[in-house]
Amino acid sequence: MSASPVHAEEWVGEDVALADVERALWQMRDASAEGTEGPDLRTSVMTHLAWVPAEWREAAMETLAGLEERHPSRGIMLFPDPSAADGIDAKVSVLAFPLRGGRRHVAAEVIQLTLRGRRATAPASIVTPLLVSNLPVFLRWRGELPFGSPELEQMLGVADRLVVDSREWKDLARAYRELVPRFEQTAVSDIAWRRTWPWRLALAGLWPEIAQAGELRITGPSAEALLLVGWLRSRLERPVELVQEDAPKIESMAIDGRDVPRPRDETSSSSDLLSAELDELSRDEIYENAVRAASA
Amino acid sequence: MTELAENPLLEGLRPRRTPAPCALVIFGASGDLTRRKIFPALYSLACRRLLPEQFAVVGVARSDWTDDEFRERMEHAVREFGRDDFDESVWEWLASATRYLSMDFADEEREDRLAALLTELDEQRGTRGNRVYYLAVPPQVMETVGEAVGKRRSTEGWTRLIIEKPFGRDLESAQALTELISRYFTEEEVFRIDHYLGKETVQNMLALRFANGIFEPIWNRQFIDHVQITVAETLGSEGRASYYERAGAIRDIFQNHMLQLVALTAMEPPIDFTAESVRNEKVKVLKAIHTPGPKHIVRGQYGTGYIDGKEVPGYRDEEGVAPNSMTETYVAAKLFVDNWRWADTPFYVRTGKRLARRETTIAIQFQRAPHPPFEDAATEELKPNRLLVHVQPDEGVSLAMAAKVPGQGMRLRTVNMDFIYGGAFRTELPEAYERLLLDAMLGDQTLFTRSDEVEEQWAIVDAIVAAWKRDRPAFPNYAAGTWGPAAANELMQRDGRDWLKH
Repeated sequence: MSASPVHAEEWVGEDVALADVERALWQMRDASAEGTEGPDLRTSVMTHLAWVPAEWREAAMETLAGLEERHPSRGIMLFPDPSAADGIDAKVSVLAFPLRGGRRHVAAEVIQLTLRGRRATAPASIVTPLLVSNLPVFLRWRGELPFGSPELEQMLGVADRLVVDSREWKDLARAYRELVPRFEQTAVSDIAWRRTWPWRLALAGLWPEIAQAGELRITGPSAEALLLVGWLRSRLERPVELVQEDAPKIESMAIDGRDVPRPRDETSSSSDLLSAELDELSRDEIYENAVRAASA
Repeated sequence: MTELAENPLLEGLRPRRTPAPCALVIFGASGDLTRRKIFPALYSLACRRLLPEQFAVVGVARSDWTDDEFRERMEHAVREFGRDDFDESVWEWLASATRYLSMDFADEEREDRLAALLTELDEQRGTRGNRVYYLAVPPQVMETVGEAVGKRRSTEGWTRLIIEKPFGRDLESAQALTELISRYFTEEEVFRIDHYLGKETVQNMLALRFANGIFEPIWNRQFIDHVQITVAETLGSEGRASYYERAGAIRDIFQNHMLQLVALTAMEPPIDFTAESVRNEKVKVLKAIHTPGPKHIVRGQYGTGYIDGKEVPGYRDEEGVAPNSMTETYVAAKLFVDNWRWADTPFYVRTGKRLARRETTIAIQFQRAPHPPFEDAATEELKPNRLLVHVQPDEGVSLAMAAKVPGQGMRLRTVNMDFIYGGAFRTELPEAYERLLLDAMLGDQTLFTRSDEVEEQWAIVDAIVAAWKRDRPAFPNYAAGTWGPAAANELMQRDGRDWLKH
């Protein structure tokens, strides 16, 4: 599969209505299919929502660029700008990727909406008309989760799965505590949890000696460290102490003073990690229990 | 399951399917299959870190090559036929695990040398006595190699034997080969490859049927008018004439790939997806296929014609083919699966070389709507619903259904609802050999054929071939680049049906 689209159509509008966005999408899809054997296929997998505060904009666009090719979804990026005058600005793109043989395309649609002023407080009413029927909705929330805020509550109401990266959070213990009640409302994916996968596998390889573990020592980010110790506590059903030294990624780990064999280096981009989460649909009870134990 | 019950940390981890340490021995390592399929597949598995860390490959063939010469040839093969970009570090890892041994398969001394080399590799590479022997050799030396390997099988670790098709050339030879192999290997150690079973879209047939509640209730004689299966190639004998002259379309495709597709389409739901359950159900279908009579079989051989606008020679004019060859390059048949589900529902199957286009499809044609409440004029071009599984190319599934033509009045047209793999899953489909090599290393036989399955297939073929001995058709009887002999169309038209043309 080609990593880049064969072509891209784009439409930009200021102070738009949602009907303008839908019309632009139809027109661009028609234009994109010109000269091919049939209309461009639209996603048959999901709608991908992203809530992206200003400071996360660049990182979100970078992740999206790597994602479109693998998950040809309808992506709806919401950029809240509550301090500006009321209104919606839109940029809509249709990226056509060739199917094998090149006779038809599959279209990835990206709708970027800047929600200005009070529009940022009613996002569900804006995204609901744009969701593709019959497909699951994944909500990627960038940065801290503003528990109790109308925008988060509304967006959770339309999403089938919430995708976060708890590495992006500051007060982790509190955030995990507040996340726990949400597990009954929506399935949650945590990209920080995904990053621990090779280390969890390495730790599982230490069975049965690890069954009596009392201390986990980690040089790595707080989010991964807390999730790993929470996982050990919940799976082993015993108290495990955490000793953590901060580092940008997990560099080493020891159980009761014994080094954990370092797994093969698995360098995954942010797009790879998000892509893996978008393949999951059901609740991850192992993760939920790890969060509960990490925040207890 | 026991491991999970004992180790609570494994729950939910879904570790990668990585096999235990092992050595893979490829007999026939200088052949086309090793170059085009086996080594590129190993390289793709290495790219995805699906091979064990402690791994070795030993190529065995008559060609007088050194380790380095073999590695160099395989590197070229991976660059030419691999589906992944070439990565020096991955290749270096695989090359460091690769050895080559030049030998005649009947040479006892060299067989001993191979056994010694594998023991050395157990020490050097940590392969722990685990062996996968891949017999990518012509049928005539299969017994020699099988016996040589069996006599020297490792007493430590596990041993698995992968056998390329054809497994015999008739029922008697297949049974003899099974008997010989079973002297040294249990059925659980034998992996008979039919690479069609490794194709994603063939496996998707099981997902389509048994993971979707809407299809199974109508997947029977009550709702299905007939089934058409096409395995069409545009290639000619392509340098394989010496093999093809003896095999023909019936042994090359019909006996294995075609009958497997019939079995997967017609089988009952297995109770689970284990090797035994799936294969039990397939064998039941093969046992239920009754031998087609002469009027239900058509064979053909291509003459000159056009492929891609270029004139191509007839089969008898190709290199290595006898000028009066009576080898069939085309077979079509009307089969019946005599059981409760399929009684009286024909399965029309056809396979051939130099046909109009390359495609493998399974078409399920449903009965017409019993009483469409529209005027005749509205429905005159309306076709019955058809579910078309595209095995290759354009992998996917499409459903032909009726829709109203926009505008005044009621006019109907057939439209297609498509699921195309590439439109939903934007990853390259793995090559069949990747899946099958990995499964063999893991000991999973689900996608391999069992001895009784192979024997049922040969029993059907033997009965067809026996009838052919009584007549001598006028070959060639179809032009290259067409859909086969006129008699194949008549086979369908007698029943008021037609083959799909595209």
